[in-house]
Amino acid sequence: MANNIQTAHRATAVPMKLNEAGSIAVSGPKRVTGGTPDDSNRVILELDAVDVFYGDFHAVDSVTIPIREKEITALIGPSGCGKSSVLRSINRMNDLIDTARVEGSIRYHGVDLYGPTVDPVEVRRRIGMVFQKPNPFPKSIYENVSFGPKIAKYGGNMDDLVEESLRRAALWDEVKDKLEQSAYALSGGQQQRLCIARAIATSPDVVLMDEPASSLDPIATLRIEELMFDLKQQYTIVIVTHNMQQAARVSDRTAFFSVDVSGGQRTGHLVEFSKTTELFTNPRESQTEDYITGRFG
Amino acid sequence: MEPHDADLRHHYDSELEEIRASLVDLGTMALSNIRHAGIVFSENRPEEIETVRNADIPINAKYTELEARVFEILALQQPVASDLRFLVASTRILYELERSGDLAVNVVKALARLDGIPTDASIHSAVSQLAEASAAMFTRGIEAIATLDPEIGMGAELEDEATDHLTASLYKLVTLNQDELGLETAVALFRIGRYFERIADHGVNIAENVTFVVTAQFPGEG
Amino acid sequence: MTAATKRREEETKRQVERAIGRSGIDWTSVWFSGALVVLLLTTLSILLVLIADILMKAWPTFQERGITFVTDGLSLNPATAGVFTAIVGSVMIATIVAVISFPIGIAAAVWLEEYAPNNRFTQFVDTTVRNLAGVPSIVYGLLGLAIFVPLVRALGLGGSSDGKNVLAAGITMAVLVLPIVVITAAEAVRAVPYSIREAGFGVGATQWEVIRSHVVPSALPGILTGTVLTLARAIGETAPLLVIGVATGYFAPAGDATLADQITGPYTALPVVVFSWSRQTQAEFANTLAPAAIIVLLAVLFILNGAAIWLRNRTEKKW
Ligand SMILES: Nc1ncnc2c1ncn2[C@@H]1O[C@H](COP(=O)(O)OP(=O)(O)OP(=O)(O)O)[C@@H](O)[C@H]1O
Ligand SMILES: [Mg+2]
Repeated sequence: MANNIQTAHRATAVPMKLNEAGSIAVSGPKRVTGGTPDDSNRVILELDAVDVFYGDFHAVDSVTIPIREKEITALIGPSGCGKSSVLRSINRMNDLIDTARVEGSIRYHGVDLYGPTVDPVEVRRRIGMVFQKPNPFPKSIYENVSFGPKIAKYGGNMDDLVEESLRRAALWDEVKDKLEQSAYALSGGQQQRLCIARAIATSPDVVLMDEPASSLDPIATLRIEELMFDLKQQYTIVIVTHNMQQAARVSDRTAFFSVDVSGGQRTGHLVEFSKTTELFTNPRESQTEDYITGRFG
Repeated sequence: MEPHDADLRHHYDSELEEIRASLVDLGTMALSNIRHAGIVFSENRPEEIETVRNADIPINAKYTELEARVFEILALQQPVASDLRFLVASTRILYELERSGDLAVNVVKALARLDGIPTDASIHSAVSQLAEASAAMFTRGIEAIATLDPEIGMGAELEDEATDHLTASLYKLVTLNQDELGLETAVALFRIGRYFERIADHGVNIAENVTFVVTAQFPGEG
Repeated sequence: MTAATKRREEETKRQVERAIGRSGIDWTSVWFSGALVVLLLTTLSILLVLIADILMKAWPTFQERGITFVTDGLSLNPATAGVFTAIVGSVMIATIVAVISFPIGIAAAVWLEEYAPNNRFTQFVDTTVRNLAGVPSIVYGLLGLAIFVPLVRALGLGGSSDGKNVLAAGITMAVLVLPIVVITAAEAVRAVPYSIREAGFGVGATQWEVIRSHVVPSALPGILTGTVLTLARAIGETAPLLVIGVATGYFAPAGDATLADQITGPYTALPVVVFSWSRQTQAEFANTLAPAAIIVLLAVLFILNGAAIWLRNRTEKKW
């Protein structure tokens, strides 16, 4: 079928890795693709008619997306359509912007994240974030990973946790001999993987990624995509990307946003939310088709 | 978007359009050779057998060239959605067209093995009718590419029943006259019937692929 | 390659050479940079002449007295008068300034940058701080005289100086440099990239944890440099000290006093000594001792600036 062309078989460079139980598992060639998800996974996050405002500016209008457990959900769309705004509203990062306001409801396991008794700090411990530009702390590699668990009063062995997080982020072999060195001495791709290790060190449920590979070369990009695919076994991932091929390769479902100009305001809205295979082979909306085939403007 | 990008996309669009036009051209070439093969039989012109065989050479060449171009576009443009469906369907349609051209050659090859064409009028007309019906079905396929009309593909299976009936009655006739015709001629006639039937099937497949391009579904699917 | 192609290529090469080649000397920039160098040299030479003049005048003192000029206390006799008392005073004032103004200034800066809501009150505070930094130092002297000297007295720390001691001087100087500390620290805090804060919040840190673990450590080099430089300012100021009653004449040598006495008793500071000696009628004080004291003052400032740079480099590497 048509989507066979979209999917690609790729062999991983790492033949062996520690699995969850600590035993050695040999991983064969791996297929980096979203595949066709069935609908059996639970909806873990429900964005229900979410609006985002910055002061008087209506940035995003009524977005409804169910996000399922252990799936990768991709948000795509033209610049300024509000992908980051929606993503940041999921773990209440928008609270940090004075003017930002979120309406509608975002339910996490059925609990409204914007409810009056919800502590945003606790939300962010469960819903971690990886940013567009690698932003390690100006500290050692070790401290970068251990900071999150430390403030969360992690009781276990910190060295083990740091190692495990770095291994999961496919960075351990490259940094194991220089954990005390500055994180800034790493390359951009390594820094981004460090940021992923940092995000998963606190064992979040959901990891939000805002264009995590936008500043990386194809090899580093591939590693991060493979990593996402691995992480999917345990985490729920929401990723914003401008790279259509990346969305097609890694995600299970894709949300396409667009932006309408009305009354001088550019307001973003959701155009289509479908399984990735459907969206990229047979989008329902002509707007989606125009965007993904590059026929815009 | 910057004009440069728009130009690039425009170029891509016209490339896709060129592929489609070339498919129609290639189909027309194959079609005229199929018709010609039919005429060689019905009008008893064994001297034109070679002409039919030679006409297949440019068809094969064009097929190879077009297929390479489709691969190129797939690699460079990384198409999705309707573009992807079109290009993938194009490779399939190309195959169907090329096979149909080969079948026309097979028809005249089968003739070449016989010492002249059987003169029995009923058989003669049965083959002619089948050849025409087959060419007509193939034409429907080409029409579908030319107009990108999904309806043709949806009705194609039904339309093709005519060819199936004509093939069946040809087989019946040959079986009845087996003794007078001799084994060799009978087998050749069976073959020719089968070739024309297959050509019609290719026409159906082509039309159905066009339906897939437009609707993302094959007729009878989903 | 045909001859025609070759000719065309040669021609293209010539054209490109002409297009990207140097087209003579750019006189404007030569003139401009020349003028800048002349201005720089003029400024530098004025400074050099000044320092050379003072050094020359101070030279006999150091030659005759050596290190004893630095270790001797105040005296009415020019042959034995030294700056030790003044150094002690200056160091004590600087310590008090550091202890008071740094924590308050840094805390204020962090509050202004990280916590303060963007409203009129914050804007008012911000503008006020900036304006205070521009108030002449003599005004702070009056403030010190009106408030801090009585305050020290009221606290029972007036001692033999009746409140006119290093405590009052230190508090006054601390208030004098506080706006500058706040401004430089706020700038250092503001320079911490937003992405670092985001990273902190992103892993579930509270605002306090983000500030303590990331913002302040990242801003520390900038804060330190700024604040140590304000110390230099505090050490060089004379006017406020004169207003709040620094001793300008001779008083009991510091050597036989206890630390408490030194803190609560009369005091002097390096710039004050320079000031008072240069007004003495005895020629030695004005002509050789004052320049020597200036050199000591400059040396102290130089050491402080060096410390600022050293601290910045150290903290920058440390993380
Ligand atoms: N802090 C902010 N203050 C005011 N307006 C903002 C702020 N952040 C985003 N916006 C506006 O909200 C709209 C959506 O921005 P957002 O960053 O969510 O877009 P995006 O889809 O992520 O774009 P990009 O693909 O370029 O990252 C834009 O019009 C933007 O100008
Ligand atoms: Mg964005």
